[in-house]
Amino acid sequence: MKNRLKVLRAEKDWTQADLADALDVSRQTINAIEKGKFDPSLPLAFKAARLFNLPIEKIFDDEYEA
Amino acid sequence: MNATESNSSNLKQRAKSATQKLFIWTFGWVLSLALVAFGPKFLWDFATTFTLVAIVINLFCGFKMIMANKYHLMCMDEMQRKIQLEAMAISLGISMVFGAIYGLLEAVRLISHSPNPSNILFVMGISYGIAVGLGYRRYM
Repeated sequence: MKNRLKVLRAEKDWTQADLADALDVSRQTINAIEKGKFDPSLPLAFKAARLFNLPIEKIFDDEYEA
Repeated sequence: MNATESNSSNLKQRAKSATQKLFIWTFGWVLSLALVAFGPKFLWDFATTFTLVAIVINLFCGFKMIMANKYHLMCMDEMQRKIQLEAMAISLGISMVFGAIYGLLEAVRLISHSPNPSNILFVMGISYGIAVGLGYRRYM
């Protein structure tokens, strides 16, 4: 699943550790999500949406990568 | 990020607390297992009452260790939990496959000694460790 987490994080000038703190997960998990290696659960995706004050579909795209 | 720093320390504190609990109960379980193994011979000359008490202590420590392990798993974030669960599944499968064939080796005369069940624990521990390592590498 594609996502804009890295871009949104950069816009706020946050490090991966900052975002991990905000979402109460490890920095490794943020790294894996940003790289598309791990798909977050629905609660975590909603938490990220609330944090960036955006609809969930503006952050996560369910289009499969070829 | 002040508001979120407390969340971070919560995750780290939870993980630290859970790891400490797991370490304490695992250590207690190992010690009580040693007590059951060596106590009857070296400490109380095979007195049944003391042996039963040692077994009860061991079972209690074992139960607390299992609960501490469950708590440790719950304190992880979702990716860490997924890695651990996958490693447990792999470890359980390997132990079952290895244990089944290992139990037959003496019967089919490939080995001359009786299979030692504790060897399965080694296989379980080693396969679990490798599977966790590979899991973290996969998501990095």
